[in-house]
Parts: sequence; structure tokens; C-alpha cells
Amino acid sequence: MRFGAKSLIVFGLLGSSLPLLAHHSFAAEYDSRKTITVHGIVQKVAWVNPHAYVWVDVKDENGKVVTYAFESLSPNALMRGGWTKNSLKAGDEVTVDGYLAKDGKPLADGSIHANSKLITLADGRKVFAGSSADTAEPSK
Amino acid sequence: MFKTQSLILVVAAIAMVGLASAQDQAGKFGPVGPGPATQRKGTPPQGPAPKMPDGKPDFSGVWTPTNFMLMGGQPSLQPWADALYKERRANLSKDDPEGSCLPAGVPRISPFPMKLVQTPALVVMLDEGNVHSYRQFFLDGRGHPKDLDSLWMGDSVAKWDGDTLVVDTVGFNDKTWLNGQGLPHSDQLHVIERYQRPDLGHLSVDITLEDPKAFIKPHMFTRAYSLLTDWEIHEYVCNEFNVDSEHLVGK
Repeated sequence: MRFGAKSLIVFGLLGSSLPLLAHHSFAAEYDSRKTITVHGIVQKVAWVNPHAYVWVDVKDENGKVVTYAFESLSPNALMRGGWTKNSLKAGDEVTVDGYLAKDGKPLADGSIHANSKLITLADGRKVFAGSSADTAEPSK
Repeated sequence: MFKTQSLILVVAAIAMVGLASAQDQAGKFGPVGPGPATQRKGTPPQGPAPKMPDGKPDFSGVWTPTNFMLMGGQPSLQPWADALYKERRANLSKDDPEGSCLPAGVPRISPFPMKLVQTPALVVMLDEGNVHSYRQFFLDGRGHPKDLDSLWMGDSVAKWDGDTLVVDTVGFNDKTWLNGQGLPHSDQLHVIERYQRPDLGHLSVDITLEDPKAFIKPHMFTRAYSLLTDWEIHEYVCNEFNVDSEHLVGK
């Protein structure tokens, strides 16, 4: 089950929020109520601004591989959190907790657009922890 | 409540990673974990504020904001500004210029550190976030230009009031937001900042915002920073991979 995929969408009651760690509004782009947990293989990591991105290949219930693109924090924030561009590599088996984009539209490359809050490697190491949702300020 | 719990969870998660994930390039730009830079509030160094050769305080250093989201409450807004503020909030800030990697303006800042570089006639502020914006505080006695352009970061001149550096900034466009929720201002915005360094590790800035077109009365608040002795500001090129703007849908 190395490639075993499970996609779970949970509708919570976390309410809307505004970002502090992002250069854009978290609530305008992602839905804090549409949390997901996926298990798959890292396809590639982009250590870029304004947010690092992690693409993960996930097998759906029918065995078809779909790719998620997870927005992470900015490289400067990740770096000060203790991670580098080498902390996560293509081929790593990961479980990603995150949020789906509001508009439901894929990125230009066809991947499913989401925001990660925690990436757990197969050996239990947790990397790229944090999301612009974490320090969001409640909207008034 | 949720906010506090989230923070604790994040900090706990990062603490679990600990130094095991410590790798090559941290050091210069900040210590490796635990916790994102923006949430670290380590004890700043102690001692007297350093002085320039002329005896004035030297504000040079890398500074991290410790209360960057606070603005001392909400300014009293003129009706048009209040309506615009409500509209931006209702849209969940989807049109924030920062989301398009445009400058944040003044006095809005990012949660990331900034660096002050001081000479007798000029103080320069270099922002790590905020699309690498810079500000120049001219201390050579010049005034503002007569025909000011509409600027994203304004035109700043400075003077000393005892040990306080008083920075006067005008010449703004009306495109920037004063905070992430969309607090508006007009091209009549006038920002007066009073920089004080009471000791080695602390920077305090009393900020007065005047805007007769957008505000009913001036608004004042104080921003605080701590000195980071072992950090540098880091590169942050916002436009490198900004795929967000087309997905900022708001409600």
C-alpha cells in the first residue's frame, strides 16, 4: 500500500479567516472547512516565492493517479522553521493534511489546488508544518 | 480559542521535528527551529542603545515586529472609506494589492524582519517581505519635493527631536491598504513616525496617520520591534511563482 491513497474531505466548523503569514488572503483562496488528508508520493518540490509548492501523486479509489499541488509557507518562513529545500524530495512517501481551494479549479498544469498545513514522511518526520490558515485572524 | 489551539499545535509539531531536520543554510538567516520566524519572540539582547559618532542613537540592525497586526483599534472613517472597508472585508480581502505582489505601502508591514541602515544623513529601511520594498529617510535637512508623484511608499524626510527620529511621509497613491483587511486611505495620507531605541534590543515607533479625506480624525498607535542579532533578512521575490491571484475568489 505504498501508493495507497485515501482522500477525505471533512467539513468542519472553523469559520472564515484572514491571513497573516501569506501575502494574500487565505480565506479568499482556500476553504478552511474543506480539510483533506491525502497519502501519496512527492512528484516535485518548488522552493519558490511567494509560497513553496509541493506536488503529490495520489491514487484515487479507482487506482487512477491524480496530482495535488499544495501551497506551503514562503521559503523564508520554512527556512526559519528549520526546513530547507532538501527536507522533502521527489519520491518521498508522504501524508499531507491541508485545505482545498475555494474555486475548485485546477492549476494551469491540471493539478488539484490545495494548501498544506502538515506533511508527514513515511518515517514519521514532520516537515513544512504551518499554513497561512494557522495564524489567521477571524474576519469581523 | 481556535487560534490559540492552532498555534499550540503548530508549535508542538515543529518542536517534534526539532533539530533533527536542521540543515545547511539556516544560521545566517536565523536559528534553525523551533517555530517559524514570525512566531519566535526570543529575548532580545540587553544593554544600552548604541550611538552614532555624533551622539545620536544608531537604529541600525535587523528588527522583527512583535505586534505587527495591531493598529490600536480602528480609525474613525469617513462614510465612503467606511463603505469601502466593509466591502473589502465582505470580499475576504480578495483584491488586496499584496496578493498581486504589489507594495504594501506605509505603515503596513509584513510579519518578516526588516533592516535599518543608518548614516548621519540617511536612514534606509529594507523590507524582507512586502515585495522587498525599501524606504529612505533623508536626514540632510531637505523638505518634500514641491510636485510630488503618487508613490506606493511615499516620500520621507526626517529630523531629530532629541533622541527621537521623526519621519514625515507624504506623496502616496490611494492604491495600498493600511492593513490586510482593506483599511483604505486617500492620496492625502500623511504618516508621522517617531522612532525610539530605548535600549539595545528594542525599537518603538509611535505612528500617527492623518488623512482628512478618509479619516474623521487622526489615528495613533505604537509598533514594537525586537533586535535580531544573529539573523539576516532573506530574499523574497514575490513574483517568482505567484499563481494565487487568479484563484482569489473571495466569498
